[in-house]
Amino acid sequence: MSPAISLSAIGLVVAATIGIGLFGLRISRTTSDFYVASRAVSPRWNASAISGEYLSAASFLGVAGLVLVNGADMLWFSVGYTVGYLMLLVLVAAPLRRSGAYTLPDFAETRFESAAVRRICAGLVVGIGTLYLLPQLHGAGLAVQTVTGAPPQVGAMIVAVIVVINVAAGGMRSITFVQAFQYWLKLTALAAPIFVILLAWHQPTGVLDSLHGAAAAWAEPLSRAGGRDHPLYATYSLLLALCFGTMGLPHVLVRFYTNPDGRAARRTTVVVLALLGLFYLFPPMYAVLGRTFAPDLVASGGDTVVLELPGRVFPGTAGDLLGALVAAGAFAAFLSTSSGLTVAIAGVIDQDLLRSRLREWTGGDYIAVNSFRIAALIAMVVPYLAFTVTGSLSLADTVGLAFALAASTFCPLLVLGIWWRRMSTTGAAAGLVVGGIAASAAALIHVAGAPQGGWPRALVGQPAAWTMPLAFITVIVVSKLTPDRIPAGTARSMVRLHTPEAVDVDRGLPPR
Amino acid sequence: MSDTRDPDLTTYRDVQLSPDFSELRRRFRRFVFPMTALFLVWYFVYVLLAAYAHDFMSHKVGGNITVALLFGLGQFVSTFAITLIYVRWADRRLDPDAEKLRHQIEGEAQ
Repeated sequence: MSPAISLSAIGLVVAATIGIGLFGLRISRTTSDFYVASRAVSPRWNASAISGEYLSAASFLGVAGLVLVNGADMLWFSVGYTVGYLMLLVLVAAPLRRSGAYTLPDFAETRFESAAVRRICAGLVVGIGTLYLLPQLHGAGLAVQTVTGAPPQVGAMIVAVIVVINVAAGGMRSITFVQAFQYWLKLTALAAPIFVILLAWHQPTGVLDSLHGAAAAWAEPLSRAGGRDHPLYATYSLLLALCFGTMGLPHVLVRFYTNPDGRAARRTTVVVLALLGLFYLFPPMYAVLGRTFAPDLVASGGDTVVLELPGRVFPGTAGDLLGALVAAGAFAAFLSTSSGLTVAIAGVIDQDLLRSRLREWTGGDYIAVNSFRIAALIAMVVPYLAFTVTGSLSLADTVGLAFALAASTFCPLLVLGIWWRRMSTTGAAAGLVVGGIAASAAALIHVAGAPQGGWPRALVGQPAAWTMPLAFITVIVVSKLTPDRIPAGTARSMVRLHTPEAVDVDRGLPPR
Repeated sequence: MSDTRDPDLTTYRDVQLSPDFSELRRRFRRFVFPMTALFLVWYFVYVLLAAYAHDFMSHKVGGNITVALLFGLGQFVSTFAITLIYVRWADRRLDPDAEKLRHQIEGEAQ
């Protein structure tokens, strides 16, 4: 693979990202611009941006890698990512928009009238975001390493620096344009090599036939091809995490606020699902072709199959060019997801941790936007430090753990908080703490060094099937035990959550 | 924040207790919860079929196209279909009712 062409392609993506980001700088002037792009993004732009943000290193590199190594079971990742959006749309999107809250901690505070619950949520947003940013940095390191042979720190550092600059400069408005552009770049980068490969064969079906004999077992569902035990449990658990975790991802939720109204939010979701479905056609094709052309990658975890396949199929200039395109697309994936996550985490750090302290230290002499910029830096430094102390990780598996943590904490908070009148503040806090500790303990054990095999490995690697019910039961039992801690304003909250946005009821928090 | 200090308290409680508000919520729940349950069952049944109805899933429809593959693609198609159904339903049934409630509340407030 020729490093020069790939590096210039990556350079172009970085330049375009900064360029569009600077364009955004000129039009983002208010705090509302920073957080939610003043709620004025059209459905089509917004859908491209949401898809651009959602398709991370895990989707671009990780899904193909997992399917290559573990076989057809891993297709659940792509189905689950898509279904998660649907769950978010039908169960929580509309009520949450109506709550008037910008972030999950905002929602928790207005609904449960408790600063403590708010602080727990703020901590969880940072935790989930960090767990999600970690594989993005690993992906960037892996991509630069594959293309140039440079150590992984180089790629991770590039992504970290660009994202902080872009987020600090333009906030949400500029990020929206950047991410919309990046979706189309990612789709093109992933689709073009596949089309070229299929066109280059006079009989593309010949490729599939050659696969059939050698890889028949691998293509079967629940085959344990990659040595994963308890595939049925693992698949169910993964599916639960993805279906119910999406609604608790901080960078996804904030996107629903960037639509002008609820109707536009629904339109946006339809387009998002179409765009995601289109994108997910391609990673499995890389895996299938990888089984034929790059079977040696199975041993190394497979996360580089998307990057290496074009060069394997076409040694020479054509392969270099296609490889460069894919590398550029991969960088778009790291940059867009990391930007969205950083905006969301920085928003929470800014509001809940930083701003009051800055006000104390400077005696009120500070500008809100500067506090956000410092928060953006902190939001990236934490996962970068985590990156430097963790070894190689499976990209999609690690992202799966972030979904599991979200499904075990914010999912019960949102679903029960929106629909169950007798949920108490103590119950909410207990559910967040129990679900959060259980799922993050599993994630830490998995990242630090998973058990060797059997049930311990399955339970730690895919914790959602036990941590999520545990969190729901905790909320319900503790709420029943503490009926006197049901928030006094529950009736008001329910009206606010369930009456249409156009109705002029007090939505609680004013835009800050 | 306590309700006792809120001058609009009666409006909130009135809305909360009004039959139209309950009807709006009930209608939403009666559509959304069963639909959610239904599509989750469909995803989970697919996994069960893959595990236990192996012969059925690996039945070849033509060439190398198996039932499992068709069902797998069907997951994407059905996700999209469910979303379209929900959006149409929300536009047609939910929004007009919500609008009606809005007029009532704003009418009372004046």
